[in-house]
Amino acid sequence: MPVRVLENTAPSQVSGANSGRSSSQSCSLLGVGQAFSGTQNVSSVQKDEAWRVNVRIQGCDLEHGYLCGTMEALNVPMADTPVVTFWEGEIVDTKNYTFFTGKWEATPEDDIRHWSKFPSFSPLLGQVEADGGKSLDLSNYPYIFMRWKEQYFVNVGTDCGLTIAGFYYICFSCSDGSISGFYYDPNSSPYQKLELKSTNDGRSGFSFSSYELQ
Amino acid sequence: MPTPYASSAKGLSSSDPILDRLASSDGAVKFRAIREVKNHIIGNRTKKLSYIKLGAVPAVAAALADSNPNLIVQSAAALGSFACGVDAGVRAVLDAGAFPRLIGLLSAPDEKVLDAAARSLRMIYQSKLAPKYDFFQEENMQFLLSLLKSENENLTGLGAGIVIHSCKTNGEQNILCHAGVLEKLTSLLDGSLSQRDASLESLAAIIRDNPTAVSNFVELRCGRALHSVTELTKDKYPRTRLLACLCLISVKNSSTCYLQDIGMKTKLVYILLELLDDSGQVGDEASFAFSSLIAEKEDLQKLAFEANAINKFNCLLQKHPIQPKRLEGVLLALADLCSKLECCRSSFLSLQVLNLVIDALTHEDARVRTAACICLRSVSRSIKNLSAGCFMNERVVFPLVRLLSDLSTSVQVAALGAISNIVVDFLPHKSIFVQCGGVKELVQLTKSMDSSLRLNAVWALRNMVFLADTICKEGVFVELTASSMASLICDPEPSVQEQALALVRNFVDGCLYSVEHAFAEDGIILDAVGRQLQKSSKIEIGIQGMYILSNIASGNEFHKEAVMQLLFPQDENGSHSFFEQFLHSPDSRLRTAAVWVVINLTFPSSPGAFGRIVNLRSFGIVSRIKKMVNDSCMDVKLRARLALGQIITFGDS
Repeated sequence: MPVRVLENTAPSQVSGANSGRSSSQSCSLLGVGQAFSGTQNVSSVQKDEAWRVNVRIQGCDLEHGYLCGTMEALNVPMADTPVVTFWEGEIVDTKNYTFFTGKWEATPEDDIRHWSKFPSFSPLLGQVEADGGKSLDLSNYPYIFMRWKEQYFVNVGTDCGLTIAGFYYICFSCSDGSISGFYYDPNSSPYQKLELKSTNDGRSGFSFSSYELQ
Repeated sequence: MPTPYASSAKGLSSSDPILDRLASSDGAVKFRAIREVKNHIIGNRTKKLSYIKLGAVPAVAAALADSNPNLIVQSAAALGSFACGVDAGVRAVLDAGAFPRLIGLLSAPDEKVLDAAARSLRMIYQSKLAPKYDFFQEENMQFLLSLLKSENENLTGLGAGIVIHSCKTNGEQNILCHAGVLEKLTSLLDGSLSQRDASLESLAAIIRDNPTAVSNFVELRCGRALHSVTELTKDKYPRTRLLACLCLISVKNSSTCYLQDIGMKTKLVYILLELLDDSGQVGDEASFAFSSLIAEKEDLQKLAFEANAINKFNCLLQKHPIQPKRLEGVLLALADLCSKLECCRSSFLSLQVLNLVIDALTHEDARVRTAACICLRSVSRSIKNLSAGCFMNERVVFPLVRLLSDLSTSVQVAALGAISNIVVDFLPHKSIFVQCGGVKELVQLTKSMDSSLRLNAVWALRNMVFLADTICKEGVFVELTASSMASLICDPEPSVQEQALALVRNFVDGCLYSVEHAFAEDGIILDAVGRQLQKSSKIEIGIQGMYILSNIASGNEFHKEAVMQLLFPQDENGSHSFFEQFLHSPDSRLRTAAVWVVINLTFPSSPGAFGRIVNLRSFGIVSRIKKMVNDSCMDVKLRARLALGQIITFGDS
């Protein structure tokens, strides 16, 4: 979800580790076509504010630790219409990606600080501090950690007064499909919290569609 | 492409005295006539066709039976020239009965006769029209070996030519290896340029896609044969370099044991990219060799990307005129380059190669049109660019939809492949595709007699209906009809059945109203789904079927009860066994899908949940779910716990 442009200084980049063994996690609630809705808290010192947010998963490639989709922010004050962005996700599977971001102006300290805000991360903290979590087997862990990075605006121009420079630390619960996240951008308000729940389009149950590229 | 005779037969007529002279009983006259014909036709396709039309070939061929060796040599040379590069010439030579006579002359005592016959046969064997050589006949194999071990360069060349022409199957490759042909061929690697190239090309034919043959080759002369071929990748002649690369690619692709070092891979990439600059046949063939090197190999595609391959192919596409074969090869190489890596697709799009590929969709050569579609299919695997609407526009969609009625089935199948991807634009309307009549064309092709067309057409519809809005779904449904969908679910081809079920799954996803699609025409679709699940010949069919039932069971009470009726019909005994089997399946995806059905049937807010739980319990489903809460697959385990949690809210007994 885009946020307002704010001025600030940028910290330096640090490289992250990117190896280890395979541990692909599969969860049907995180499949293509699945939709989520909730809010992102964009409160600042001046006022409390939360934007309604819808997310739809468009692509999922567990082999490469890749996920993508769209994020729609509904009541953005400076926009006439809902603002839709396309994002790409890195799944922390310790094979393709570790807990250390290694880019996007996020230091290992930033990483640990943000991951630690998820209660489900605490059992992993020690190992992550030791080796970035490379030796962890997350394939049977009921939470999936990801980074979502918005790549472009789908329905508005880049001159809309919004920025997608940052990225989200995401924790997905495989049990109920709920998503928690924190937006990280050194130039924006810290710890903007994203909270989403799996939606079912007014049905009495869960529905699943699918496509297959050739 | 052969040119029509009528437009080419200039300067000759049936009254031309040349025919009389060719048939003259005076040997000297005949000799001069044949030599005259030979000199006329060398390198001149038009003259060849003219003489063929005139009927000169049988007259020339008749001289092979003469006793005068000079006449025979002239005749064989002229026939070889007729056959060189012109299929009509090969056909005329074969029709004149010259082929067995030429073979017979290979045992002639006169060296010049033998040479001329061998050269002529080599020309014939360069054509696909040449008779297939049967390696399984012992005397044929002995004859081939005698050719290959000959001191005569024309005979060894002929032997290699026979291998290149007729070695196509694994059986043929294996029998040639067994007979020691590899040894004979590798001994020619040190010979003349022509022997070397013939040897490399026939080696490539024997080891292609055959790990056993590759293993035999690699072990030859303790690896020295492989080393010789590797050295020839540095040869000064482009064709030799290309053929050496082809051999090495076959070796590398056959096993993970050979030539897997990054140095060799990089070397092959660079040599082939450089060979693309050759303006002749080598340049044409280099792109096909490049494709065989990188196809399905992500690491090689990355190396090629880093070697700036996309840019190179882009430059080649910009050159005009470009021959169809070269264009086809370049498009297929681009397709392979963009088949896996997003960086390649991004580069392809930013260099605006897409425009050139779109132009190729309307090329007059069907192979080029097919290759352009395959290239588009590859590039459109990019979800990022699909979502950005890079492909769902008139410039791409209109020509692709037109190709759905192409006369060539290969073009139609390839166009369906590209369309299957492009319709996944994550937008609800698909209006551009609908406007240009795309839905009608797809539906028409689902009724084709050709199963690959049916499969790909249903696949495209399945992808199109993914997340589509009600209007779009309604349009497809009206065009396709419920009865056709039921027929497709019961198609003889399991792959078509699977895609048809996935299509239904997408139809009944989305808003609640969408579920009604399954009940159209007295529930003909749901009946077909039930029948197919009873058979459940393939795991994927079970999975798609379970998700259809799950989606329907996420609807209202009527929908949920219909699923219960399908799973546990009152008037039949034991017909729900497939559901139990699915819950026990060794495939965790199928177990997951089956548990989702239970979750939706027992969804707490639905009024009939309790009654359904009672029934599920009586059919043993609840006890099965209880056992699944510790399933080895996390997804199954969590879904089973969710289902059990819902069941328990109504009280456990």
